[in-house]
Amino acid sequence: MIARALLIAGLACLATAARAETLVTALSTERVSIESNFTGSGVVVFGTIERDEQTVARAAPYEIVVTLTGPLRTMVARRKERVAGIWINREARQLPRVPTFLAIATTAPMADVAGNPVRARQGLGFDMLPTRGLPDALPPVRTDFDAAFFRLMQKENLFDLDEGAVEFLSPHLFRAPIALPANVPIGWYTATVYLFSGGVLLAKTTQDFSILKGGFEQAITDLAHQQPALYGLATVIVACFTGWLAGVAFRRD
Amino acid sequence: MDLYLPIAEMPMNVFLLLGMGAAIGFLSGMFGVGGGFLLTPLLIFSGVSPAVAVASVSSQIVANSASGVLAYLRKKTVDLKLGLYLTLSGIVGSSIGVWIYGVLRGLGQLDVVIALCYVAFLGTIGLLMAVEAVRAMLAQRRGTPLPVRRPGQHGWVAGLPLRVRFHRSRLYISVLPVIGLGAIIGFLGALLGIGGGFIMVPALIYLLRVPTAIVIGTTLMQTLGTMAFTTFMQSASNQTVDVILGLTLMVGGVVGAQFGARVGQSLRGETLRLLLGLLVLAVGLRFAVDLVVRPDELYSVSRMGGG
Repeated sequence: MIARALLIAGLACLATAARAETLVTALSTERVSIESNFTGSGVVVFGTIERDEQTVARAAPYEIVVTLTGPLRTMVARRKERVAGIWINREARQLPRVPTFLAIATTAPMADVAGNPVRARQGLGFDMLPTRGLPDALPPVRTDFDAAFFRLMQKENLFDLDEGAVEFLSPHLFRAPIALPANVPIGWYTATVYLFSGGVLLAKTTQDFSILKGGFEQAITDLAHQQPALYGLATVIVACFTGWLAGVAFRRD
Repeated sequence: MDLYLPIAEMPMNVFLLLGMGAAIGFLSGMFGVGGGFLLTPLLIFSGVSPAVAVASVSSQIVANSASGVLAYLRKKTVDLKLGLYLTLSGIVGSSIGVWIYGVLRGLGQLDVVIALCYVAFLGTIGLLMAVEAVRAMLAQRRGTPLPVRRPGQHGWVAGLPLRVRFHRSRLYISVLPVIGLGAIIGFLGALLGIGGGFIMVPALIYLLRVPTAIVIGTTLMQTLGTMAFTTFMQSASNQTVDVILGLTLMVGGVVGAQFGARVGQSLRGETLRLLLGLLVLAVGLRFAVDLVVRPDELYSVSRMGGG
């Protein structure tokens, strides 16, 4: 981690001087591999805020928001209703291209970091994340279905908001640990770091990283999806062989 | 010790899985049924998605019935011709089941249909079994033998056309109820992730009047053929069979089944049928309660196109 921090500091020195602050960030890992003993993992986002003599002095302290966004998918939220005495799914709403994973870490409560208009434009925060298209200047209108989506995703540990998790190691160097639960979706992730001061967005960086299955797990998944017939046949043969083996092993006559 | 299941995309405790497999295997060995009707709900309640649970359990049923069929083949208590008819019609039913499964999943109504089917089938069969067993037990206590139907009496089944001779079962019956039965069991097997032995066994005994000695071996043959096909189809079209999950369940299951069979042999037939009936009824009731009671969470979220 110290090596990482030094690397960031080194990178920061190369960054060109500017009037506004420059944000330089790095991830503790660029790739998480899911092996057979995977029960969750974590990634740490490091960053430093670069200033030079020309940078204006800020009256308010720096605030950092780090988001880790998982692969975007179209989700369906359904509501049960009582029909003829039983509870069945009736109404459904599609939520086009919403994240399947979203972890947010901040230095302070979200409302103190930036006001609603600023966050709405960035789609930042569970209350501002657009569920119908792109971020807008106005906060998105939430239906019961949207609310259920956010509630259920948080219950599954796939959405998480940790206010105060971003820690300043020095006045300009910070780190944000983000936990990846066992049920974390596979795919490409984007880590976005926002730098705020006094409710104004000063800088923003994005970095990609991936969560992929390990060699054996990936081989099985590849076979299941690319050679489904072969995979099915192999499964049947394995099952028959297991049954036969058990029959022989426990034969009593 | 947790094991990551690559298709289910979640870790599960390997001892929990082995234990589940063993417990279900024990019951299935004891009662001579596949146990899919218990294992699939158990996996769903543990957090495995219904799609993966139903498909993966079918591979476990293949292993279980394969070891069973071998044992019965050695004892020569399998009617291969009857088994073939049942298997082929079962495969047709299974194809329809896998297709309907995909359609319902897309509509978001798969869970409720599975639950309703469980309630209807488990409720009915469980009740019939329990009542029959209690009547047999009462009759035995009083010392009055139950009225046994004469061999010539076949009911409505005998009146159907297209008769075929099944030598091993000493039957000369219409193929229509045989094919119908096979197709229904194959359909339910694919849709619900059950082998269907608990429906097939009584149907063969009471409806087709297959000799009791032949019934279990023949049922297992049909289960093996149909579920092998179902596993293949679920892999090929839905890609939801988790081989690691299936294998763990198989290992637990085949070991449990051996001990279950020993306990089963020491219990009386009526007691066994009563216990099985009550067990089947209890699973059916569990689903009924979930359907009728207002759920804590009315909403559910899933990926577009199932999963």
